[in-house]
Amino acid sequence: MNAVTGCTLIALLLLAPSLTHAQDTSPPDGTRIASAQVSGLELSRLSPGLREDIGKLAGTPLDRQWLKALAARLEDEQPRYVAAVRVTADPDGGARVVFVVARVGDAEYHANINARYIVEDVEIRGVPDHAITPEMRADVQALTGKTLDSELAERLEARLQSGFTDYHVERRTVRGSVPGRIRVVFQLTRTEESRWLRFEPLEANALYHSDQGWGAKMPLTISGRNFQIVPHFAVDVGDDLIEEYSGFGLRVESRKIGTERLGVFFEWSSFDQTWRDPTLAAIPANPRVPAPYRNRMTVTPLAKFAVSPRLTVAGGVSIAELDSLDESSSDSRMANAAIAAVRFNQRWRPASRARHDFDAVFTVRAGTRALESDLEYERYLGQADYSVGWATHRLSVSSMFGGLTGDAPLFERFSLGDSRTLRGWDKYRIAPAGGDRMFHTSVEYRHRALVLFLDSGSVWDAGRDARVRFSSGFGFAPGPVFFTVGFPLNTSEFRAVFTVGLRLSTASVGIQKN
Amino acid sequence: MVRRPRPGTIVALTLFAWAAVDLGAQAVTVSRIADAVSVRAPAFTFIKGEPLDRLKDGRAVRVDLDLSVLPGPGARAAARSRQAFVLSYDLWEERFAVTLVGPPPRSVAYLTSTGAEAWCLEQVTVPVAALGRLGRDTPFWIRLEYRILDGDPPPGGDDDTGLTLRALIDALSARRQPPVWTQAIEAGPFRLRP
Repeated sequence: MNAVTGCTLIALLLLAPSLTHAQDTSPPDGTRIASAQVSGLELSRLSPGLREDIGKLAGTPLDRQWLKALAARLEDEQPRYVAAVRVTADPDGGARVVFVVARVGDAEYHANINARYIVEDVEIRGVPDHAITPEMRADVQALTGKTLDSELAERLEARLQSGFTDYHVERRTVRGSVPGRIRVVFQLTRTEESRWLRFEPLEANALYHSDQGWGAKMPLTISGRNFQIVPHFAVDVGDDLIEEYSGFGLRVESRKIGTERLGVFFEWSSFDQTWRDPTLAAIPANPRVPAPYRNRMTVTPLAKFAVSPRLTVAGGVSIAELDSLDESSSDSRMANAAIAAVRFNQRWRPASRARHDFDAVFTVRAGTRALESDLEYERYLGQADYSVGWATHRLSVSSMFGGLTGDAPLFERFSLGDSRTLRGWDKYRIAPAGGDRMFHTSVEYRHRALVLFLDSGSVWDAGRDARVRFSSGFGFAPGPVFFTVGFPLNTSEFRAVFTVGLRLSTASVGIQKN
Repeated sequence: MVRRPRPGTIVALTLFAWAAVDLGAQAVTVSRIADAVSVRAPAFTFIKGEPLDRLKDGRAVRVDLDLSVLPGPGARAAARSRQAFVLSYDLWEERFAVTLVGPPPRSVAYLTSTGAEAWCLEQVTVPVAALGRLGRDTPFWIRLEYRILDGDPPPGGDDDTGLTLRALIDALSARRQPPVWTQAIEAGPFRLRP
């Protein structure tokens, strides 16, 4: 509905006193309705039931309570519209019913008390002056020096939004320099997805797994536009690795080093490990698995470069010192690895309003003597997520695969059977010491807070049988709180695994290593 | 041995009783004005939080108030009335203005937030005739609900990482789409004086 139409409809609403007055002489209840129509809104935007009820009005006796109820239903279905009922006499003695519908914004234009003040200045913040188009400048000129024209301000806001698609536009009206004058400020803030480089995600969570117990991760982000510092803490986290760890770390990241294409990442962390009995029992059986450790201190400097806003490459090293499990010993081993990663992400927001997101990352880590590592290994991991969302529905498909060669430390080994993978299985039963081969896929359907999923995957050691496991289940996830029940499928044992917790700022893809 | 209550306990109980009475005074009261049922609910506030921020940014906010008369707690409404209002905040007077949307349109200005809320509530009445036997022969309950529409989506897109205050607020309120703030209260039983 264009502005002129909106104003016309509002004028109709404002004329309501005369309509109310007219109702004194208008057809009384019981008069046969000759016609009923909706003005100001396309009928196709109403539900079939409401359309049918309005359509059936013609020929029935006039009942104003029923008409008011229909108007209320119309407002329920279209919360950004208000509806009034107009009843007039038909020349044939019947009654004509019109539902006069107006968009709320149109009503706002006439109801904002600040519309009586003179706009002394209009300011557009957050974009360079040369990026402002002549049309935008014309709107700024038209707004300035007159009483506040909310419709025009709305139009400029829409123009800015369509002109700067990578920005979020916020309009504020503030006092001017003298009483009776105001200033209109459009603040443009660049959206995160338009950045060349993104900050590395770090999930905050607190969760309970019925087989694995409680654990929590808490990052405390102090963030600027291009720089962030994240102290983070972990308590009994056993969800993502075969080890259970507690400790703390500090992450410092800049995504603009001279140019938005270049960023640096640095992380230091120190985690104490707790090993489950099945893990300790399984390690001696596999001579290729290095000994467990008591503490893992890691330093990870990385450089990131954006080839395009969608494609990023990163490289650096991870220096990890693993203290001996024997507390009386001061022995430690180094697991120092070179890291290379490439990430691609794409979002589509077509006019059909379906939302498509694709995110993929491939990482290689190589522990090498060249970095004075005691453990030599290579590890690769590929992960990809695709999701499509429409209205309140969302369908996600995730997959990942990985492999290890050499003597990879336990924190590099793969595991499945936690709150994200093979939900319904317990990782300490599948592969208590992890595996050096892994693949996993997950299909998840979400409608509002309801989640249904089907997981499949396998984790195994090279040269041994790879048993593919399946699990399925459902969950409830209103906001950051989630509750899932998973059932292992291809097993004779019937069991259910519950996971409940709180999850904020989820990792974009798959398992995240710390 | 009979243990006497300590003075501190008496003071605490007195304060508790006073608070309870005060809370009672804050509760919903129903009165009959001419042929309509009117409700007062000082504790039922909606000019707060983000809608208030939006108002103080000089923008208008639409509020829908819905008053339902119920035959029992949680029951289906026997009678219902709804009004839509547009609120705005006068940047120079630092007072609120309210316009009742729809026939008949009415406006009032220079109100405090409490006054604006009370004025809105006064405009939402249910005809006594619509109650039928409720109120005369049988007690009834009141359900009061507000819906505030037209919020802006949060800035910054979907990719905020870490536990920032904004992310926490957004996440806990499950706020991703343009928000609709809503709240409802129920109170009763009430009877109308003849």
